Amino acid sequence: MAAGGTKKQLHLGFLAAIEVKDRGYVGGLLVTNHFGRPLEFQCTAPVRPNHTQEVLFGPTLVPYVYNELIGKTLIEKAGVKPNLVLTEDERILGLREHVDLPIGFLQEDAGACPDSVRFGQQKVSFHERHPLDRDVLYELGSLVSEETDLYEPFERVKQALQEAMQQNKQRAA
Amino acid sequence: MTEHASTSSDFASPNFPASTPAPASAPTPASCPDLRAQLENAFSIPDTGSEGLDLPVEIFLSGINGALVRQPRLEIVTADLVTTAAIESRWKPHNSKLPTFKLTFPEGIDFIPPKPPVEGAEKGKLRSLKPPAANGEGAEQKKKQTRLQPPSDALSIQDRLFYLLQPPIENWLAGQELVMPFEPFDYQYEGIAWLFSRKSALLADEMGLGKTMQTITAMRLLLRSGQISKVLLICPKPLIPNWQREFSTWAEELPVTTVTGDTARRRMIWEMSKPGIYLANYELLVRDFEELEQDGISPKFDLLVLDEAQRIKNRDSRTASTARNVNRKRSWALTGTPIENRAEELASLFEFIEVIPPRGTPDARQLSRLSDEYILRRCKDLVIDMPPRLDRPAYLELEGAQEHAYKVAEKEGIIQLNDLGESITVQHVFELVLRLKQIANFDPVTNESAKLDRLRADMEEIAASGGKAILFSQWTKTLDWIAERTQDFNPLIYHGGVPHKQREPILAKFKEDPNAHLILMSYGTGAVGLNLQFAGYVFLYDRWWNPAIEDQAINRAHRIGQKNPVVVTKFICKDTIEEKIDRTLQEKRDLFISILGAEGNTESSMGLNAGEIFGLFDLKARDGDSTRDIGPEPAAAV
Repeated sequence: MAAGGTKKQLHLGFLAAIEVKDRGYVGGLLVTNHFGRPLEFQCTAPVRPNHTQEVLFGPTLVPYVYNELIGKTLIEKAGVKPNLVLTEDERILGLREHVDLPIGFLQEDAGACPDSVRFGQQKVSFHERHPLDRDVLYELGSLVSEETDLYEPFERVKQALQEAMQQNKQRAA
Repeated sequence: MTEHASTSSDFASPNFPASTPAPASAPTPASCPDLRAQLENAFSIPDTGSEGLDLPVEIFLSGINGALVRQPRLEIVTADLVTTAAIESRWKPHNSKLPTFKLTFPEGIDFIPPKPPVEGAEKGKLRSLKPPAANGEGAEQKKKQTRLQPPSDALSIQDRLFYLLQPPIENWLAGQELVMPFEPFDYQYEGIAWLFSRKSALLADEMGLGKTMQTITAMRLLLRSGQISKVLLICPKPLIPNWQREFSTWAEELPVTTVTGDTARRRMIWEMSKPGIYLANYELLVRDFEELEQDGISPKFDLLVLDEAQRIKNRDSRTASTARNVNRKRSWALTGTPIENRAEELASLFEFIEVIPPRGTPDARQLSRLSDEYILRRCKDLVIDMPPRLDRPAYLELEGAQEHAYKVAEKEGIIQLNDLGESITVQHVFELVLRLKQIANFDPVTNESAKLDRLRADMEEIAASGGKAILFSQWTKTLDWIAERTQDFNPLIYHGGVPHKQREPILAKFKEDPNAHLILMSYGTGAVGLNLQFAGYVFLYDRWWNPAIEDQAINRAHRIGQKNPVVVTKFICKDTIEEKIDRTLQEKRDLFISILGAEGNTESSMGLNAGEIFGLFDLKARDGDSTRDIGPEPAAAV
C-alpha cells in the first residue's frame, strides 16, 4: 500500500450516517492511518427529529442532521484529527461549510465528476467552494496504494453503528 | 391618527330595534320568503335624512353660565405608525449537544521495519502477492475478505467494536503495513482471524496445514495492534530451530529471544520486560519456573503458546501444572492430535486454556460443546485442493521359515504369559507383542521377510518411474537391516542414531539426488517437522501404536506443496498380532471421531491402553482344574 519506512502520516476519516428504523439517525467517524488501521472511532447517540421539525425542514432535514448535527459534532470532538474526511454520501459534502477540514466525496471511477482526483481504487471530489481541499491528496495521496478499496472502511463504520445501536437497544430493554 | 372602519355594522345599526320580538320558532329555509314578508309588514321602512354637524347648543340660565360660555378645548395627539411588525416568539431548532461515544485504539508496537525489497526490484513499488494456487477462479473475481468477529465472550461495546473496526486480515497483510513472504490460503486467513480474537484457543489443524504460520501471523497482528507485548512460546526442544526459522520467514521484524544458556543467563532472560517473543522448551519451562517460584518471581506474559500441546495431556504432570501456573492473559494450545489416547487429555488442554475450572471433568456432551467453541480444526481434504492420499493396506502372508518362527514365538510366549498367572503385568504382554512384531518384519534367523519382498517389488516400479519413497519403522535395527537389502535404490537412513549435523545433508541428498529413491526413517525422528512433499510414496513397514503418529509420518509427504497423489502402503501380516492391532485401533478411531465432531478427522483416534493390549491375546490363568480370564490392569496409555 505504501512504501515502508516513510515518515509521512495521512490520517483518513471515514464519516457515515445511517437511518435506523424507529430510532432516528446515527453517525460514525472512523479515523485510520493510511494503511486502514483504526486509530479512533466515534459515534453519536441517535438523533430523532420530531414531526414539527420534519415538516419545517422538509427536504433539508437529512442534510441538516447529517452535517450540522452529526458530522460537525463528530469532527469537533475527534481526538485524532484526520487530514481528510471521506464520505460516500454526497449530501455530507455540505459539512465542509461548517468545519475547517477537507471533506471528500468518494465515487466509483466510472461516472465520477470530471474534476475528481484519483485516490486508491476510487475517485474523490470536493466542495465547489473549497477547491484547494484537493491539495491534501496531491501532497499525501501517494501514501495510499492504487489497490486500496476506500469503500471498505465504510462497511466497518456501518457495522459498528449497527452494533452500537443494538447494544443501546438491549440496554434500554 | 388612525381611523378604523367597521365592516360589520349590522348589529350596531342604530335603526335596528333591539326590542324586536323574536320569532316564536326558528324559521326553516323554506319559510324564509314568508318571514321577510312578515317583517316588512310589521316594520315600515325607516325614514332617513341628513343632519349638520354643528348642532345647536342650548344654555340654560343657572347663575354660573359665564363659566360655561367658554369653548371646549380640543387637543390633538400624534402617534407614529409602526413601520415593522414585531413577532415576539421566534422558533429556533433545538440544538442541544449531541452525545457521542469514543473508542481510541492502542498505538501498537512498531518493531524493526522489514528489509527493503530485493535489489533490482523497483524501489518504492509494493509487492503484489500472488495467490498460492489457482483454483480456476476468474482473475476479476473480487477477493474474499476475512473480517474479524468479536468472540462470544466479548460483551462490552468497546471490546466488540475493537474487533469489528479492524480491517480485513487480507488488507492488513497484503504487503502493506506488514509484509508477508507468501500469500496465505483462505483457511489460513480464517485461522489467523480466529486466533486474533481469542484469549483461549486450541488450534488443532491437521499436520501440514500451517499452524505455525497462522500462529506467528496472529501474534504479529496482536503485537502490531497493541493487544499484547510479551509472548512466551513453549515447544519440544527439537522444534526450537524450526520455530526460529519460521519466525524469520513470516515475521522478520519480531524480536525472538530463545531462552537458553546457563542458569544465570536464563534467569536474566526470564526477568526481562522487553516486548517480543520468548522461545523455550518444555523441560526448561518446568525447571526454571520451579526455581523462580521458590524465589517468589513470576514472569508475566500477555500470551502463552504451547506447541505440540499434547505434552500436557496428563493434567497431573509437572509440565501441565507448570504451564497452567504461568502468569498470562491469553492461552493458546497448538496440536494436531488433541486426543491421543483418552478424552481426559482434551480436558487437560481445556483446563490450560482456562475454559473449564481446575480439575473439571466435562462429559462427552460438554466436551463436544467446548470443542465447537474453543477448537479450530481443519483437515486437508476439506480446506485445500490437495492431491488425494491413497491408503493401501497390504495384507501379506507369512511363509516358510518366517511363518514358523512367528507361530513358535507366539505359542511359547502365550504359554509363558499364562504361567505368570496373577503376577502378569502389561509389560510382560507388551514384550511379547514387540517380539512378534519384529518377527513379522523379518525372521532374525533366516532373514526371510514377506514385507521386504513386497517392498522390493514396489520399489522397482517406483525407482523405474523416478519416484521417491519414505519408509517408516519403529526400530532403527530394522531400518539398518532393510538398508542392507535395498542398495539398488540408494537408501538413505534418518533416525535418532544419526548425528544432528548429518541430518540436513541427508534430507538434501534425498531431495536432490535423482538416484536416491528411498529414505528409511524412524517414527520418532522422522515423523515431525520435516517437509518431504516431493516424495510420492510412503511405506509403513510396521505399525505404530497410535494412528495419530502414523498420520504425522505420512504427512511429511502429504502436505501443502505436494503435486501428486501420495500412495501410502501399510504392511499388515495376516493372522498375526499386526492384524489385531490394526482392527482395534480402527474401532477406536471411529469411536472418538464423535468427540471432535469433524468428518475426516483422522487423528482423533487413540492408542492402545493396557486393557486392549491384554485383549490382543486370549490369556487364561489356571484356577484349579479350570481356567479364568486374566483381567486387564487399570487403563494406562501406551
